[in-house]
Formats: sequence, C-alpha cells, structure tokens
Amino acid sequence: MKISTLAYLAACLALTGGLASSVIAKPWWMRGIESKDSDFLPPDAAFRVSARTEGNVVRVRWVIADKYYLYRQKIDIKAESPDLVVAAPVLPKGRLNNDAYLGAQEIYRQQVEATVAYTRYDGGAHPLQIKVTYQGCAEAGLCYPPITKVLFPEQAAAPPPAVTAPHPWEGVAILAGGFGFLLAGLLLRKGRKLDLPAA
Amino acid sequence: MNRQWLRITGAALLVGLGIWAGAWVHSTRGTATSHLAKSDLRIAVPAGEASPPSSSDEDSLPPPKIPDLLPQFSLQDRAGKTTPITAFAGKSLIINFWATWCAPCRSEIPLLEALHAEWAGRDVSVVGIAVDHRDKVLEFADRFKIGYPLLIGEQDALDAATALGVETPVFPFTVFTDRRGDVVALFVGQLHRPQAELILSEVQNLNRGLEQLPAARQAIAEGLHALQAKQPG
Repeated sequence: MKISTLAYLAACLALTGGLASSVIAKPWWMRGIESKDSDFLPPDAAFRVSARTEGNVVRVRWVIADKYYLYRQKIDIKAESPDLVVAAPVLPKGRLNNDAYLGAQEIYRQQVEATVAYTRYDGGAHPLQIKVTYQGCAEAGLCYPPITKVLFPEQAAAPPPAVTAPHPWEGVAILAGGFGFLLAGLLLRKGRKLDLPAA
Repeated sequence: MNRQWLRITGAALLVGLGIWAGAWVHSTRGTATSHLAKSDLRIAVPAGEASPPSSSDEDSLPPPKIPDLLPQFSLQDRAGKTTPITAFAGKSLIINFWATWCAPCRSEIPLLEALHAEWAGRDVSVVGIAVDHRDKVLEFADRFKIGYPLLIGEQDALDAATALGVETPVFPFTVFTDRRGDVVALFVGQLHRPQAELILSEVQNLNRGLEQLPAARQAIAEGLHALQAKQPG
C-alpha cells in the first residue's frame, strides 16, 4: 500500500514537472501575444564574457550557451584605458562553418578564451580597461548585432590551496602510533604497583 | 634493573616506529596531491568566472511590446530617397528586419522573394528593412537581385525596431500588418513558409472583415504552437 502510494505521488510529481518544463520551454509567440517571456536568451546570457590578467597578458573568456555560437572573425579586443597598448588577440582555431555568402567561417561553441599581450605606460595610474567586441547567433535562426563592452580585467587570484585526499596508509599509521603508545605504557607499567594513599 | 631498561627500550622503539610511520605517510602525500592535480582538480573554476549559461536560464529576451498600429518611421530607400513606411499604405505588409552579416536573415530572403511574388495579387508586399551599412546592403541587394522594396538605416532603423516593441535588437524579425496598418504579428527569428502562410491567411481574414485583431492574434499563436509541435525534436 505504502509503495503504491509513493509510486502514485512520484508519477504525479513527474507529470507536474514535465508539464511545467514544457510550458517554460515554449517561446513567447507560441504562448500568445501577451506572454511575458521568450525562448531566446538576452545577449548577455547567451555570451558571458569575463577578463582577467595574468602577468603581461589579459585572458578574455566567453562562456557560450548551448545552441549558440560566436564568430571568430567578429571578435576584437582593443585598449580602452589611457597609455595601454594591446597586441592582436590570439584565439584558438574554431570550428568551420560554411556560409553561402561569407564562405567558410570559424565559429566557437561552449567557450573560448582569447589571450592578449599588453603593455602599460601609465605606471598603473589608471585602472586597466579593454574594449571587447563580439558577435554571435542562435542555432534556432537568430543573430545578435555586434556587442561591444568595456571590461576591467581582474587580477588572477592566487591558486586555491591544493585539496589533498587522505592517504590510504594514514589511518593505519595513526593506529600503529597509538597502539605503540599503548604498548609502551603497558610495558613500563608492568610490575609497578599503584602507590595509593591509605584510606 | 636490566629488565626495566629492556622495557623502556622496547617502548621507545615502538613509539619511534609509530613516529616513523606517520612521517613516511606525510612524505608520500605530495605525490598523492600531484596525482590529484592532474585529474580531479581540473574541474576547479577560477574565481570570478562566469558559470556556464544554458537555454534553461530563466532570463530570456523581453517579449516585444507589440503596438496595435504600425508606427510611423522613415528610412532611405536603395536610391537614397527618404521614404516613409506610409508609402506602402493600403497594402498588407511583411516588414522584414535584417542585416547582411546575419546568416538566418540571408537564408530567409528566397522565401521573402517568393512570398512577394505569390501574394502581390492580393495586395501584400514585402518590405525589407536592412539595419546595416548602406554600401554593404546595396552590394548585397545587387548581388542577390532582391526584387522587393528595401529601406536602409542604422540607428534610425534600430529606432524603428524599438518603436515596434523590439527593445533588444535581434535579427531577423518580421512584422505582419493588415491593409489598415494593424500589426497582426511579430515573428522573431528565421521565418519559414508554414509560419508565413499561417499568418498571411489570418491577415486575409482581417482584410475581409471575417474576424477581429485579438481573435486573429490568438489564432496565430495557437497555429504557431501547433506547427512547433509538429517539428521533430
């Protein structure tokens, strides 16, 4: 009885979840003109960009939503703060996408990181700023206009302390040490009487 | 006395053995850590890194606040003449916002050409609004022999998109109006023939006075929903 009740509840939950997710997945124009949301992501959610410095390079990283992509040729990085000189961005090879009009285009999915060497001539007087431009599309048949942002690259944080797993022999060694102390105590105590005060 | 020294020595040996065992284990931990660094620690995400977005994110493009009536705007045509959208008044319009750099925009141009030709006899016209550099649009339009009217602009074309309720510019999107200038539908993304024909049939119903705008919009929403349900995947 209990098992069947649980199974029923689980089935109800699964059904409710399935219905809810199917409603969420539908684009606005399928849920009526007055619906409040759409199925396409805003550009900042489709392409999340961040930058950090490491020595004399800036690493600009895009995390790209599933079923969205960025064009390699549309990525540009320029200096924004005064007395800053940046080299041309170094980008990994993208996946080739054939375009009938533009020819073979390299695109990035999931994530991509550009490396840009920089030199500052301001002695650190201004916060480091770069201007990044990028452009991408959704596979579902939609493109975003080129996006330009000014970024303040963060200094790369010190690597977190290494997480170490306990060594398999560590427990044995602790036990052996404890056992050794116990034995040592027993050996030293053997034959010795407690010198208790007389009642 | 000798036996007592023997016990003390034995105890000291045992304690020493325990200390040595602990020290040995500690010395081998560096190896274990470097092994982990090569495998398990690779999933570590640097501080401040963006988390991977996904299509299930709750934040999505704000839906267009579609006006009931086509807003007034003027843009240059291919010849450079400033042309108000009212120049097409009296016709049902398929107003397609696009750009040359947008692959899905280019993909739907053959469909728009076909619709322009097929529906011309029913007073329906396609008007392309290119949000792009003028010289690129002209070169593209000549190369691909675009036959329907084109209006071209940059910020002024984006302003027209905003007036139509598309505040976050994305391309392509297509606005359908009836012959009175009522905005019947706004379709975001690449248009395909089934969707276009569904909307145009509702536009015709409006033009014939067979139904009212809210009913037409509702029928379009339901029809698009049904078409989506038929799509594989």
